Amino acid sequence: MTLDLAGVVTAYPGFRLGPIDLSVGTEVLAVLGPSGCGKTTLLWTIAGLRRPNAGSITLDGRALDGCPPEVRRTGLVFQDGALFPHLTARENVAYAGANPARVDELAATFEIADVLDRRPGTLSGGERQRVAIARTLATDPDVLLLDEPLSSLDAPIRRRLRRELHDLLGSLGIPTVLVTHDQRTAAALGDRLAVLRGGRVEQVGPTETVLERPRNEFVARFTGTENVFEAEVRARTDGTVTLGVGDATLTAVAERPVGAVVSACVHPSRVRLDATVQSNEDATDPRADGNVLAGTVGGWLNEGDGYRVEVAVDGAPLSLLATVPPPQFDPRAMAAGTAVRVSIPPADVHLLGEPAADG
Amino acid sequence: MATTNRRRLTGRVRLDWLTVALLLGGLLLVYYLAPLVSLFLAVPPGAVLARLGDPAVVGAATTSVLAAAISTVLATALGLPLAYWLARTGTRWKPVVLAAVVLPLVLPPTVGGVVLLTVVGPNTVVGRAAVAAGLPLTRSLAGVVLAQTFVASPFVVVTARAAFEAVDPTLEHASRLLGTTRWATVRRVTLPLAAPGILAGVTLAFARAMGEFGATMMLAYYPRTMPVQIWVSFVSLGLRAAYPIAVLLVVIAVVALVVLNTVASNPWG
Repeated sequence: MTLDLAGVVTAYPGFRLGPIDLSVGTEVLAVLGPSGCGKTTLLWTIAGLRRPNAGSITLDGRALDGCPPEVRRTGLVFQDGALFPHLTARENVAYAGANPARVDELAATFEIADVLDRRPGTLSGGERQRVAIARTLATDPDVLLLDEPLSSLDAPIRRRLRRELHDLLGSLGIPTVLVTHDQRTAAALGDRLAVLRGGRVEQVGPTETVLERPRNEFVARFTGTENVFEAEVRARTDGTVTLGVGDATLTAVAERPVGAVVSACVHPSRVRLDATVQSNEDATDPRADGNVLAGTVGGWLNEGDGYRVEVAVDGAPLSLLATVPPPQFDPRAMAAGTAVRVSIPPADVHLLGEPAADG
Repeated sequence: MATTNRRRLTGRVRLDWLTVALLLGGLLLVYYLAPLVSLFLAVPPGAVLARLGDPAVVGAATTSVLAAAISTVLATALGLPLAYWLARTGTRWKPVVLAAVVLPLVLPPTVGGVVLLTVVGPNTVVGRAAVAAGLPLTRSLAGVVLAQTFVASPFVVVTARAAFEAVDPTLEHASRLLGTTRWATVRRVTLPLAAPGILAGVTLAFARAMGEFGATMMLAYYPRTMPVQIWVSFVSLGLRAAYPIAVLLVVIAVVALVVLNTVASNPWG
């Protein structure tokens, strides 16, 4: 089963989505982008709720263009569930005519058996979303579309449902498109990842590829690689380049001509900080391979699951963010103004604009 | 807080905004209820019961209830599709259509009658054709229904439109994506969710049709409806003769309100 979008354009006053070319096989395509980038319009176009101005949508070669939503067999789970408030959870799941046995089976899968006789207004956000997913799957859709399925949920419920969706979506065996503005959800659920901005696909590819080798600054920043900086190629050896930023130099695994000005990026989790006072050979990351810079802590922020430390690299107009897991964080060593050693493995310095492996 | 303290200290009631609001609202409520109470006190129950057997009163009551029922059904059947279209359309002609719908509400009913006579009067093409077909549109039950529908149906359209607009279109999208056609979606999702508001509109339309006088006078003086009968009694026999029929009309109106409010489970809430 393959869902294909070819040159799809959906425009309305003030906004234009596309042209979009995407192919979704029996997999989960996560579409990641900021608010207003066209994520929902993309889903509505596939579902037939919006008529595209151009292009074609096919499912296994069968053209869906012009088909009304009710005959497309595309299931859409709406952001807030869109449950019918005048019907019980059971009546919602059975809305499309599923037999009672199938409803009970879905209720067991989604652990909603004990709330089946309640109205949506009395359900929690997590329960509503489970009922909504069960209702959509009760129609045995050929394509599953999910619009921000976790965004309205509290963090613990979101984490739990994310885990469950991961297992569920993998077992469905139909093309699935999930749109979200949350890179964690996209990374956790997407086999492939498409980053959308202003109605255009900025990059699409296997999730790991897009996360680790972003094509441009927008993709890098939006997927969490917040350290993006300009550097000059000062030397080149086989397979590596030496980048200069002010007085600081960094080695990166890449091919670029000497003298070229490039945009480089490093994910904050790959930046390692060590207090210089306690420094010894063991403290140096062996993979850093010479990428060791002197820096000064600018400040830090506790984000709950980790600390974000801002470090100014000495002698260079370069400020880096590093994430430090709580057990390794020492507030005394990371006080503002403290000198630290910054280590970055060359393989983790990515140059933007490199052709990605997947189109 | 300061006001309350000062009131306690001086012992005088000061006019704060809440007191003024209560006084204004209370005055209006009294203005509504006092005449009704006074009417019921003016008429001994025996007098009402005595007039119930009067063929003129029975005839007027029958005409009123029958015509108002037909008008309400017509207004609902014709008004709901228009209300739904108004709730969902994005056309720039919407304000024009809305103005046309509201026009009978703002038009004086007698003017409404005049306007209708220019279309269905005995000397018009439509009027002559109707008479030839054996269904005269003036001085007939059909005339009463036409007049009542004209003035009462906007209540259905305006109220039902608001009720339809309150139904999240996403629910209709969800229904269609579950394999349900547009019509079945309206039947299974939109109408049930909009029902309380629609019933409120239907109630208002029925009450308005029961009380219709101005346009009915122009189109169908006969058969007499209750408001026309009240006027005739008042003009020919005096105010006291009009009381019992007025009481009857009030009772029918109140019963209609109560019945529909019960069915609609508080459409006003």
